[in-house]
Amino acid sequence: MNMEHYPILAIISLFLGAFLVALFGRLNKVLRNLIVAAAVTIPLCLMIALIAPVMIGGQVIGYWMGNWAPVGPWAIGIGLEVDALSLFFGLVVTIAVFVSGLYSFTYMNRDDSLENYYTLFLMLSGSLLGLVLTGDLFNIFVMIEIMTMTAVALTAFRVDYEGALEGALKYMVVGSIGSTSVLVGIAMLYSQLHTLNMAQIAAALPDHQNLVTVGAFAFLFLGFSTKAFLFPFHPLAADAHAVAPASISLMISGVITKCGVYGIIRLAYILYQNINEPAVSILITGFGAVSCFICVTMAFNQHDFKRLLAFHSISQVGYVITAVGLGTALGLSAGLYHAMNHTLFKGLLFLCAGAVQYATGSLDLGRLGGLAKKMPKTCALFLIGAASISGLPPFNGFFSKWMIYQASFEKGLDTGNFFYIVVCVVCLLSSVLTLASFVKVAQSVFFGQLQPQFENTKEVPLTMRIPMWILAVLCILTGVLPWEVLQKLVGPAAAAALNAAGYIQGMLGSGAAAGAGAQAAFSMEIGFWGPVSWLCLLLIVSCAVCLVAVLGTAEQKSPEERHEMDRRAGRTAAFTRDGFADAGRILKPAEKEGHYRNPVLSGTTLTFTGEKDPKYENFFSGEESEYSQVGGGDLFWGFKTNWRHYFQGMRRWHSGVINDYTRYGIVALAFVLLYACLFL
Amino acid sequence: MFQKWIDKSMRKSPWIYHINAGSCNGCDIELVSVLTPRYDAERFGFHLTGTPRQADIVVVSGPITMQSVDRLIRTLAQVPEPKCVVSLGSCPRSGNVFKGSFAIAGPLEKYTHVDVSVGGCTPKPEAIVAGLAKAAEILEEKRREMRKHGGMAPSPAVAAAVEHEERAEFGTGDATAVRQGAEQEADA
Amino acid sequence: MQILIQLFHILVFPGLLFDVAMGVLLMGLNNKLVARMQNRVGPPILQPWYDFLKCCGKETIIPARAKRAVFLGSPYLGFVLLISVSMFIPFAGFIPVTMGSDLVVILYLLTFVSVCEILGAASSGSPFAGVGLSREMVAMISYELPFVLVILTVARAVGADQPSGAVFSLEGILAYQEMNGPLLFSPAAIPAAIAMLFVIPCETGMHPFDIAEAETEICEGMLAEYSGTPLAMYRLTHMVKVYTMSSLFVAMFLGNRFTGIVPVDILIGILLCIAVMFISAALPHAVCARLKVEQVFHFYWTVVTGFALAGLLLVWAGV
Repeated sequence: MNMEHYPILAIISLFLGAFLVALFGRLNKVLRNLIVAAAVTIPLCLMIALIAPVMIGGQVIGYWMGNWAPVGPWAIGIGLEVDALSLFFGLVVTIAVFVSGLYSFTYMNRDDSLENYYTLFLMLSGSLLGLVLTGDLFNIFVMIEIMTMTAVALTAFRVDYEGALEGALKYMVVGSIGSTSVLVGIAMLYSQLHTLNMAQIAAALPDHQNLVTVGAFAFLFLGFSTKAFLFPFHPLAADAHAVAPASISLMISGVITKCGVYGIIRLAYILYQNINEPAVSILITGFGAVSCFICVTMAFNQHDFKRLLAFHSISQVGYVITAVGLGTALGLSAGLYHAMNHTLFKGLLFLCAGAVQYATGSLDLGRLGGLAKKMPKTCALFLIGAASISGLPPFNGFFSKWMIYQASFEKGLDTGNFFYIVVCVVCLLSSVLTLASFVKVAQSVFFGQLQPQFENTKEVPLTMRIPMWILAVLCILTGVLPWEVLQKLVGPAAAAALNAAGYIQGMLGSGAAAGAGAQAAFSMEIGFWGPVSWLCLLLIVSCAVCLVAVLGTAEQKSPEERHEMDRRAGRTAAFTRDGFADAGRILKPAEKEGHYRNPVLSGTTLTFTGEKDPKYENFFSGEESEYSQVGGGDLFWGFKTNWRHYFQGMRRWHSGVINDYTRYGIVALAFVLLYACLFL
Repeated sequence: MFQKWIDKSMRKSPWIYHINAGSCNGCDIELVSVLTPRYDAERFGFHLTGTPRQADIVVVSGPITMQSVDRLIRTLAQVPEPKCVVSLGSCPRSGNVFKGSFAIAGPLEKYTHVDVSVGGCTPKPEAIVAGLAKAAEILEEKRREMRKHGGMAPSPAVAAAVEHEERAEFGTGDATAVRQGAEQEADA
Repeated sequence: MQILIQLFHILVFPGLLFDVAMGVLLMGLNNKLVARMQNRVGPPILQPWYDFLKCCGKETIIPARAKRAVFLGSPYLGFVLLISVSMFIPFAGFIPVTMGSDLVVILYLLTFVSVCEILGAASSGSPFAGVGLSREMVAMISYELPFVLVILTVARAVGADQPSGAVFSLEGILAYQEMNGPLLFSPAAIPAAIAMLFVIPCETGMHPFDIAEAETEICEGMLAEYSGTPLAMYRLTHMVKVYTMSSLFVAMFLGNRFTGIVPVDILIGILLCIAVMFISAALPHAVCARLKVEQVFHFYWTVVTGFALAGLLLVWAGV
């Protein structure tokens, strides 16, 4: 089959899957799951098959639906256009869809009317893939509408949850501001340029700049930022994420926000090509930095696991938008890299939250705790995700954040604008606050003390852990081999975004291999970070430390001495069982039955008859150890008390009333319009 | 390889954990004064730690009141081996003026093996420093003993023997009180 | 042969062994200097080493509530990570690894070291450790802002003169100082240096800022449940951190090659580290009582950040 059919096949397979599930899903559970599995796997395979020609070969795949090829310079039909940028986001979408689908099979098995769930899920996935692959502006609007409506329905899928309907309603009402402003923007562009094909708009727009197109830019920018839940639309995300099933939270935070990012990149880099104007750059970067900071501080005070993650996902999207707004090759690659990483680690974290919810039925950070002993595997996965999002080397979040700092600082040095330095500081600061709130999650969910009511918690089944492991492995891979990923995936995508001419040609002109030119000029002057050699270094040092430890504690003993040792140990063991120490070696904590020791008082040592061995209890100032968890809300007191005025203001501001949020949206729209008219 | 060094440093870096088992604070103040510039026990490596998990020498002051006995025993159990127990002042030895009160459960020997007992009400700082230094020596002995016994602490019989040989007493403030206390114990 | 030299650099000088030796030396000197300032005799200089050995000889108790793997693993991981950080910081012209060093990488690796400690504390299940890790995190937020500003200041000061393209390269900063003299001698960098001197004690958890391990209030905080060898590793990590931070200061503000004669350079490097330790750690230790949590945060986000910001603005203005 010809390669140019791949994109449409990928989209069709998802939509077709949705219809088939709607038709046959009720009949048979296995059949339904098979359809879903096929529908989510085929697009992933197709997208992976496209990597070689598009990413590495630099091809741009244009496809005219129904073979309605353009007449002269005029595009008549609807076109799909897949350049490296589209493919990059297509990959992100399909991976997330694949993982989410896989996870749903077990995670959702306690809910009913699942055929509705899967129909909506597949439609959502299809619209997301369509959005990033299409070459038609109006098509984007259609896909956004499908996306919003299905996402709203899925948010409220578990209607019995407290706040589910409310979250969905907020999402729908305020989200419609975004959809409307996208529609208005498209209409304004159409009135000026009489076409909806993006390549054609991109070709014509730089020569037709007037107040109307500038207004259209403002409308489109605001519409896409609504879809990315940027400030001031972030409260929506929190309300929607917290109540949606975890697999859908993954989609909303991992992919729907990315579609907003994709829209902004297309808008500023390809359609208007005005990212290098300082005003545009400052507008986008400013929005990004503000969302980044405000959402991370909002996340600080959350006591619901998923709500906290929701605020973090906006914060991370803020990073992405900040980097995208810089307009440099480095900044754009940093943004794209972080966008991909965010889908991976945030997806992982949402799935972990889902696993916790599945196992315990709670997401309350104030009630959970000590789950590491009950769910060690989920805990390990969570730690990978948390390390990635906090940007600890060598995980992937570190590399992309590092690139963002480099890019913003370099931009500041190049332009001499102090604004970018402030942005860099804000990003670095948000990073440490991110770390702080994940320390909070780790302490209040997985470590600390287990509440007695969760004593019977079981580890989640393997079918739920496999999707999590896929994401975790991808997190580690993209973190450990960053230069390869940069070269193979992110670099070509960034080059494609910077090469508007290639995009126009790919659709309307002679076609292939147009993107290759810009790629040559695209070099990466970043600092030094070699995760692989660093890991080797780590390995050498740890070997040395282990060697010293082994040599240091090993004592030369003859067999007789050893025998004597065992004999004595056997004799004294009758006395204490596990009471006395084994210096230099580690004693196991007394396990269940060994937890009690009941030898009598002998000699001068008093023992507890029939009581818990206090030696392995936590030190409690001598009191008997009892349940005492330092919960999430109690952490970071010194920080919160100094910021109390800020937090009080934030609390007033996030009122939870739809009217208020709508008002913020309108104000933001007015601001962007005014800004665009004044400065563009 | 490093075992000898470790043995030696046992003596050089004894960390103290202080348990107040109903003391009148007199001994506690004197213990703190040991760490002040005048006596400066830190030059011998003494260091007051905040948790029994890090302690080498547990200093117990006070007549072991009923309220504190549970806490005392629990805390003592939480100290990793090898450890030394030092009783500070007359109260943990005999009950001192509180002896016979319904509210005390002493002496300390009933609950643990006391390595060094520093008498006095209150003991002089010099006596405390000397007692702690003795405890540090015993600590090193214990560590050697532990190694000899293959990582296990000496059995109770051995411990008792060690007790009689190595119990060191400093300060003479209420030596008689101790003896009386011991006699009464024996009578009972 | 090449590999052997590389291994020597990693494991002996200026790598693992040298780090530990310097850590012990600096910590021991710190104790001694504080004691002398308080008119005491003070412990022997090797006291930290004795403490370390002693802790190795003690029993390791794992509380029944602790998550065993994390509880035992994090001290070792933290130590190894810290050693790898110190390898990114050139000492007297020596750098153990040739992959280049970047200030942001160093910043994040140092954060990772603290995170290891926090994880270990969290896994112990003790409420004291919970309070301790909360405080440690607040301390981290406190010093991170001025630290970041200092890094940006130095990067900006070196700025366009960077021989390599990277902006945060420590080697570039050193090369710049070799050409133009130490950064500390340029007046614009002095506020940043002062801020950095304040960052060091908080980052290493030295006395007035050791809110996370306040033994009298919260029973050693994060280390409340640690005993035996893991505790020894934490102690060692703290010592090496003092050395790492002071050598980072020396590299950032004073340069690396002073005379060109290797042994003299090493000696000067050691002396400078001691001087930095004296000013930043020993003096406040001897003078101040421990601060409260919110005081630490307030102090760092007003006074220290003020210094750092002033430095950044001065450097930005090109003074």
